[in-house]
Amino acid sequence: MASDSGFPSFNDGPSSPDDSISTPIDNTFSSPAGSSRASGRGRGGGRRRRRSTTPTAFLTPRANQSRFATSSETPNTTPSRSNRRSNGQRHATSPSSTDDVPLSSSEAGDDMDEATPTFVWGTNISVQDVKSAIQMFLKHFREKEELLSGSESEIYKEGKYMRAINRVLEIEGEWIDVDANDVFDYDSDLYNKMVRYPLEVLAIFDIVLMDIVSLINPLFEKHVQVRIYNLKSSTAMRNLNPSDIEKMVSLKGMIIRCSSIIPEIREAIFRCLVCGYYSDPIVVDRGRINEPSTCLKQECLAKNSMTLVHNRCRFADKQIVRLQETPDDIPDGGTPHTVSLLMHDKLVDAGKPGDRVEVTGIYRAMSVRVGPTQRTVKSLFKTYIDCLHIKKADKSRMLVEDAMEIDNSHPRIEDEIQFDESKIQQLKELSRQPNIYETLTRSLAPNIWELDDVKKGLLCQLFGGNALKLPSGASFRGDINILLVGDPGTSKSQLLQYIHKLSPRGIYTSGKGSSAVGLTAYVTKDPETGETVLESGALVLSDRGICCIDEFDKMSESARSMLHEVMEQQTVSIAKAGIIASLNARTSVLACANPSGSRYNPRLSVIENIHLPPTLLSRFDLIYLILDKADEQTDRRLAKHIVSLHFENPENSEQGVLDLATLTAYVSYARKHIHPKLSDEAAEELTRGYVEMRRRGNFPGSSKKVITATPRQIESLIRLSEALARIRLSELVEKHDVEEAFRLLEVAMQQSATDHSTGTIDMDLITTGVSASERMRRENMVSSTRNIIMEKMQLGGPSMRLLEILEELKKLIPGSEVHLHDLRNALTTLASEGFVVVHGDSVKRI
Amino acid sequence: MIWRENLLLHIKLAATASASLNSQSERKERESEMVGPKYDCLANPLGAVRLTFEKAIASGADPASFDGKDWGAVDLFRQFLFEDGALSHVPILNPTTIKWVQPNTLVRFRGMIQDMLGNEFYAGAYKDGSVWRTNKFMDVCQYPMGSSPDMRIWERRLLYCVPVPGQNSWTESLSEVAMNKTSQQREKRQRMEDDASNHMDLVLVDEFESSPSVKKMRENGHASPSSQSKDSVIEGTSNTNFVTNAERNSLPCLVKIYDCPESELKLNEVFEFVGVLTLDSDVMADKNDQDESSYGFIEDELVHLPPEKVPRLHCLIHRKLDVNDFLHSSPMMEPKPQLVKETRESLLRHLTSILGNDGIAAHLMLLHLLSRVHARIDNVAVGKLSLNLTCLSKESVSVFGNQIRLSVQNLLPFTQCIPLTVNYLNTASLAPKKDYQTNRLIPGVLQLADGSHLIIDETQLETGTLNSTGVENARLLKNLMEFQKVEYNFEYYKMEMIADVQMLILSEGKSNIVPADLVIPFQPSSAASFEVVPAETLEAWRWYLASVRSLPHSIESDMQKVVESDLVAARQADRSLGGQDLSRLLTMGRLMSASFGETSLSLEHWQMVKELERLRRERLK
Repeated sequence: MASDSGFPSFNDGPSSPDDSISTPIDNTFSSPAGSSRASGRGRGGGRRRRRSTTPTAFLTPRANQSRFATSSETPNTTPSRSNRRSNGQRHATSPSSTDDVPLSSSEAGDDMDEATPTFVWGTNISVQDVKSAIQMFLKHFREKEELLSGSESEIYKEGKYMRAINRVLEIEGEWIDVDANDVFDYDSDLYNKMVRYPLEVLAIFDIVLMDIVSLINPLFEKHVQVRIYNLKSSTAMRNLNPSDIEKMVSLKGMIIRCSSIIPEIREAIFRCLVCGYYSDPIVVDRGRINEPSTCLKQECLAKNSMTLVHNRCRFADKQIVRLQETPDDIPDGGTPHTVSLLMHDKLVDAGKPGDRVEVTGIYRAMSVRVGPTQRTVKSLFKTYIDCLHIKKADKSRMLVEDAMEIDNSHPRIEDEIQFDESKIQQLKELSRQPNIYETLTRSLAPNIWELDDVKKGLLCQLFGGNALKLPSGASFRGDINILLVGDPGTSKSQLLQYIHKLSPRGIYTSGKGSSAVGLTAYVTKDPETGETVLESGALVLSDRGICCIDEFDKMSESARSMLHEVMEQQTVSIAKAGIIASLNARTSVLACANPSGSRYNPRLSVIENIHLPPTLLSRFDLIYLILDKADEQTDRRLAKHIVSLHFENPENSEQGVLDLATLTAYVSYARKHIHPKLSDEAAEELTRGYVEMRRRGNFPGSSKKVITATPRQIESLIRLSEALARIRLSELVEKHDVEEAFRLLEVAMQQSATDHSTGTIDMDLITTGVSASERMRRENMVSSTRNIIMEKMQLGGPSMRLLEILEELKKLIPGSEVHLHDLRNALTTLASEGFVVVHGDSVKRI
Repeated sequence: MIWRENLLLHIKLAATASASLNSQSERKERESEMVGPKYDCLANPLGAVRLTFEKAIASGADPASFDGKDWGAVDLFRQFLFEDGALSHVPILNPTTIKWVQPNTLVRFRGMIQDMLGNEFYAGAYKDGSVWRTNKFMDVCQYPMGSSPDMRIWERRLLYCVPVPGQNSWTESLSEVAMNKTSQQREKRQRMEDDASNHMDLVLVDEFESSPSVKKMRENGHASPSSQSKDSVIEGTSNTNFVTNAERNSLPCLVKIYDCPESELKLNEVFEFVGVLTLDSDVMADKNDQDESSYGFIEDELVHLPPEKVPRLHCLIHRKLDVNDFLHSSPMMEPKPQLVKETRESLLRHLTSILGNDGIAAHLMLLHLLSRVHARIDNVAVGKLSLNLTCLSKESVSVFGNQIRLSVQNLLPFTQCIPLTVNYLNTASLAPKKDYQTNRLIPGVLQLADGSHLIIDETQLETGTLNSTGVENARLLKNLMEFQKVEYNFEYYKMEMIADVQMLILSEGKSNIVPADLVIPFQPSSAASFEVVPAETLEAWRWYLASVRSLPHSIESDMQKVVESDLVAARQADRSLGGQDLSRLLTMGRLMSASFGETSLSLEHWQMVKELERLRRERLK
């Protein structure tokens, strides 16, 4: 009967409008036909619901069979039926959700024929309808993936919630979690009813569930409850208003206070003081227990003799929790709102103060009475949320679960921040913009203008590359380290602060105030227990984040040396006080340094300017020089910028800029969900470009070998191009990503690794601190000095003054400038060869 | 059993109160029938509210349509207060007036929103039998309220307001005027209640009679507060003013706001609320009973705010207060150029004499007093101009510091002074902190209304060790100085609130704890002179500072070019000039032209600023 009635009512739909159009004469006929169709559909819906009363054993296999038919695409099994069975549910319910009210009334009308329906008080919701809808949902809901991947083994499996029920029975649990999204997907009408009349619908839900449970295992005694979570929309706490009362709501917030656990009486047993008769358990009725005034035993009937027997009563746990708005939801000039949550049974102690949670529950209001003895009710209402489900969210603002997490194949679903669909759509929309790279660059620290290439580098750092862990145990970091070197007053610190604000788990420290242990980890004695404990330092704390170190140059030598391990191996090893440990410090380092003189001396190399060991310097992927050039053009722009800051409407000064929240969401989404791989094209380009870079060191006709790129650069390049692909939310690294990565690297290298005497890039500047040309010059110097000394001095003869040799040198090499310290360097070399002895200002040949 | 008796007493009191109220309202109703819509909004605002509600219902409106809306009651009061000019008749709530102001009458409260206690749901409209009643603007319903299905639940916002921190005594004189006047009204009201038979005529007659006398009072009132402030200038070297201020200002108020968008009222803003005062202590009578455990479980933050100490005000009308609103003279002067110039000159003279004839410092001080944050671009608060007077030793600060403080107190409505010592930094709670036990925001020293002035006296600072609180406090001060933001401590996280505080630092050397925008070595050539300032002049200065400060400002395009090239030239000459220095120059330019009452930067004023800056730099060397 079920399939027959469903079939014509559906075929009816599309065919009848065709009729009315093709035959205009029938027009008079068509309107009643249409109306009958509408009611027919309604009736169809009603029957469909009622169908669920047919035994499950009958329904389930048939449904499977029909889906099997669809997947193998055999045309002669009834296609209409299979269509209807597999996704007809959604078809059938979608109209009902739009014209919700008339449908339910027509359903009610249908039911009237057979039995008197029970309505939910004050509404036109029929209890039977809801009941059957819930039954259908629980028995037949399957997830989309299950439906799509229709392999044979999947088909014979039971629905998602039947499996859940079975599991609960096995573990003797007390509840099953029901995803409200599933309810919506299956039957949006039921979902709407559930949200609008949660008290009634949930009660029916529980009844249905218990029916099913008792069918499966009649001996199962525990009461299984339904816990709804993941509503389609969550309400902001400050938007809760009187219209939300008695509705199901979902809220995000932070727990700020938990009360102690309150035992709440559920069933009371009284004993007669006269005869010792125990009453039957008396159940709590609307929050009250009626104390029997007389003994219930016929023989006794003593008055006012009943007393409560505490240890035979049944109690349940109860807890009151205060939930406060998360800081992001608070508008300017507001303080956070709070709301009370009422937790029962298993939900008690589900969260502790400080946890960020998403709560699903029923918003309720309770009138406050003036006094215990007074009947008059104060006009006030106290509101609280009867909590149904609580879900913990991660604490960090930007959740990053990517780097180095490849070995962990089980993603922890529960702790994740869920990006809702609309947000993801919005972000994807954003990523499709052709100029997204530029837009993001502009959005990064918009009040710091210029420095576009630096910002692009920082953007890459934020997005990060892919970490790689080979089965052999070797691992490649995905984090990009950046060093900013520059003159004072070039807004380096501001950039750092900005990145710190944006980055996940960022730690901001100043080099001067950081010691080695403060950065890495240190061992202390717990003052109370006397145990040695390991305290994490800044680098460990910013694991999977960005550690911003200001005044990098002022850091002590020992602190800096600790960074070597962190920046390449991404661990911190500790071996002291009986603790040997290796802590993860998968952090990107963003450091900034001032030149050792107050200003950057362009005639010296980076190493000489900032006095950093080359070994450390080479671990930075990008080194940017932010120089304050005495350039009128930049000054003018600065002046213009400041004037506009003061006199113009700040809104129109910068356009097309993403706000901080969107930027953060974008970055965290990309870090979490996008793991780009190199395309073949990109790999080829990488190889080609690298070889090209290396080749650039070989000048035609030059004998000296300048190293323009090292394997570290190619790793950097890979990271950069992966980050660039991430910026586009692309899973594939394209050729132009690689090109841009080369450009970024080159810009950074040009600034920092350019040998100023020749104007070429020389990686030796970074790796050893001495450029190839400088080395040549030094060698020349040594040999000429040697010559001079050979010429002028005898073995064991009188010593010569330094200045005299300098004069000689200048004569010998007329073109170039010769400094005293060059000579000293040369002499030191010679002295180490055992050629001369230097005593203060005098040189003696030996 | 004492509590039981107390309770009985309460009930009796409540009963009589409501009875008198009822009779009053009935009277009103009768009155309205006879004289048309003439309510005594002042003495019986709830009656007026009720009448408008009944009228709206009678005209066929559905109570459900009043959800979050007004039915005309507020309009009535707005007309009554502003168009009929009755605002000045409404008594201002303060510790003196609270002693005699009757509950359920119209009062005003001026204060800063210190905390927001969230929303409160109440039975807004309900059916009593067949009649619709409303509970809007009151705490307890006056008619029995059954649990009828025809009940509309409405919401209102709770704001915890305190008198503005550091409010100076001169701002209050107005309230005293109002007090005298209303005490007279109160007598009138009592008289009215005494003979209830022919009250109606009396009211009308009284109204007419009293109005001229009120006017007279107001005129008298003008003279008296100003003479008072004169006194305070003369003998004001002692600290006594401070203490009394704090004591006098200690009355907080719980304001209940109806139907108002959230963005309209923000934390730390200064408002005047006009509304119905309720002091009903019977509402809270049930707090000591424990058996009602099912009801006790919801935290009630109001427990910590007993109505005897914190009166409730059901706000009908609120308006944001400007400094001008604290001046006694009504908008007395148009900002005429000549007048502005004269006032500027006299104020500058005054500042110069206060500062021991140090002209440059006086100029900078004037600019400093005029500064305010007028825009925020990312982290940059544009328009702030903090001043650091250096070269003040412990000895000289006792002379000049006090002088400066007193004159600032007399010029600006809200001023505070922090003596910066190691001990203070280590112990003071500067940032407001959320106390989750009481669910209240505990105010900190730095929770200040916009436009407050803060003097930080660093001369007492000696070497010592800061503990973690001290470091935190120093950081807070620095952040306030640099970004005009204060971090509020919410225990689990911190929240930045924007502020607009003028900061003046007195120190021996350049202050490094709170680095100010402008540093000027203070070089007095004579001792500070104690001059007697006539009240009118003082008033004129206040008016000048308040109105000039709020002037809009712009720049002509050719002037913009001049400024730009000047900045470029300055930077070419001195590479150490950063963006901040240039920004400060522009702020000074803006303030300089504003100090002449002009709205756009002129070359002349720009030159003055450059000259001032040159002199300042010379002195720094």
